[in-house]
Amino acid sequence: MHSDHHYENLIARYLNGECTEQEYKELLAWAGEDPVNRKTFLEIKDTWDAIPGGDLSIEKQLVSFYRDQLERRAKTRISYWKQAVAIAAVLAIGLVSGILVTQQKGVVPASETLFEVPLGSRSAMTLSDGSKVKLNSGSELAWFTDGKSSRREVRLSGEAYFEVNSDPGTPFLVHTNDFTVEVTGTSFNICTYGDNPFSSATLAEGSISLQFAGSDKKIDMKPGDHLRYDRDKRTYRIAAADVESEIAWKDGEFLFRNIAFSELVKRLERWYDVKISFKGEDLNSFTYTGRFKNQETIWQVLDALKLTTPIDYRRITFREFEITYRSS
Amino acid sequence: MSAFETIFRNYYRQLFYYALKFVENDDDAHNLVQDVFTQVYEKQLYNKEESDLRPYLYTSVRNSALNFIKHRKVIAMHEVEALIKLKEMEREMLASGEKSLIEKETYEKIHQAIDELPDVQKEVVLLSRFEGLRNKEIAEKLDVPVRTVETRLFRALATLRQKLTKQAFFVLMFGRFPVQTH
Repeated sequence: MHSDHHYENLIARYLNGECTEQEYKELLAWAGEDPVNRKTFLEIKDTWDAIPGGDLSIEKQLVSFYRDQLERRAKTRISYWKQAVAIAAVLAIGLVSGILVTQQKGVVPASETLFEVPLGSRSAMTLSDGSKVKLNSGSELAWFTDGKSSRREVRLSGEAYFEVNSDPGTPFLVHTNDFTVEVTGTSFNICTYGDNPFSSATLAEGSISLQFAGSDKKIDMKPGDHLRYDRDKRTYRIAAADVESEIAWKDGEFLFRNIAFSELVKRLERWYDVKISFKGEDLNSFTYTGRFKNQETIWQVLDALKLTTPIDYRRITFREFEITYRSS
Repeated sequence: MSAFETIFRNYYRQLFYYALKFVENDDDAHNLVQDVFTQVYEKQLYNKEESDLRPYLYTSVRNSALNFIKHRKVIAMHEVEALIKLKEMEREMLASGEKSLIEKETYEKIHQAIDELPDVQKEVVLLSRFEGLRNKEIAEKLDVPVRTVETRLFRALATLRQKLTKQAFFVLMFGRFPVQTH
């Protein structure tokens, strides 16, 4: 049996988004077993909510309001889907639950369904043809539907893992800025973030054919193939994939092998929705291999990094970190 | 400044935090509040007396949030189920008509109550809520154990609650919540 003190601390951690998954369960069990506990929890949470937080610009919201008013008049909005994830505080540590929700925004029949996943979150969904898609942080997936036809076509920016239901009669198309992937039924990962210098496709099972934008040539990929397209040089390379680490994110894991410091930083930024700057010695000469489950906080990750690399870190603003090289 | 903008500036923040008690993410909370302000704008409700407008704003946010929750289609749910259930617990309370402090109190009163807290408690409230620091960071800053920070934060909130609520009791909710056993 724990003392009340223990639960007071647990609630304080909950409010600041610092609970581990186990602690959430513990808190839920405690609040669920007794109405008095529940009341304590809800009252304290309510009080916390009533204190205005820091990071919210009203002026920005006002601008966005006026822009929306203009858009509302300019065009009839198509209906679109919105995606909801865990509480703001929770976003900070990357503990996330993805729930897809719908929101009607007009009367015109849907022509494009948009799924968005904010930074710091991941989400899973099932498309109307039964295909499953997992979306990584900061990704967008548009799903075209035109009423009756069985067209299977999506547009992706960001990173997604697809498990496409087999339907040889209706190919499943994934469009990205760099290429289009055509499949009948298979599992594969596509990574095509706008701010990356590359985009890539990794095939886990089945077969896909990939066609670069503005080209007629189709490239057929086999299971285990990893295609990486260099956006600057406009070249691509196919190599044997490390499929496990490419797609670990879909199971809420952060797994990486031999990646450069800059790439690690970029992934952490998306995963935890933070900004990380680094300076000093050429940190890029370090490569990283590691595995995190998503219950670690960004602090724990940075602490772990500190053990293996001569760095220091400090928080600059609300969601910004600076990493500096520590010369020995 | 137009009457509309005054209302917007005065209420946006409270309504946003209020909406966030129902929905899971910031974007949805912003959308809900923005939609309520669209109504205010289009129907020119900003000319109403504030004593009528204030309850209208909260009720609208609550109703559209509950409506939003009800009509969303949960396609997939994964990870941190306990967290979702804790949230449901809270939503159920608000749906029962229980009023939140955000709705009942003005920011002036809340600020005043914070001001009156003992210094050690005020400090952790300001650092965690206003400055957004983690409990761990606060502990480092004040050079006390994290546990102490957590305890102070809890105590501070309990004190605030008492100060702000004359009738400091929620209607106790009956009915069982699903409790995770493992």
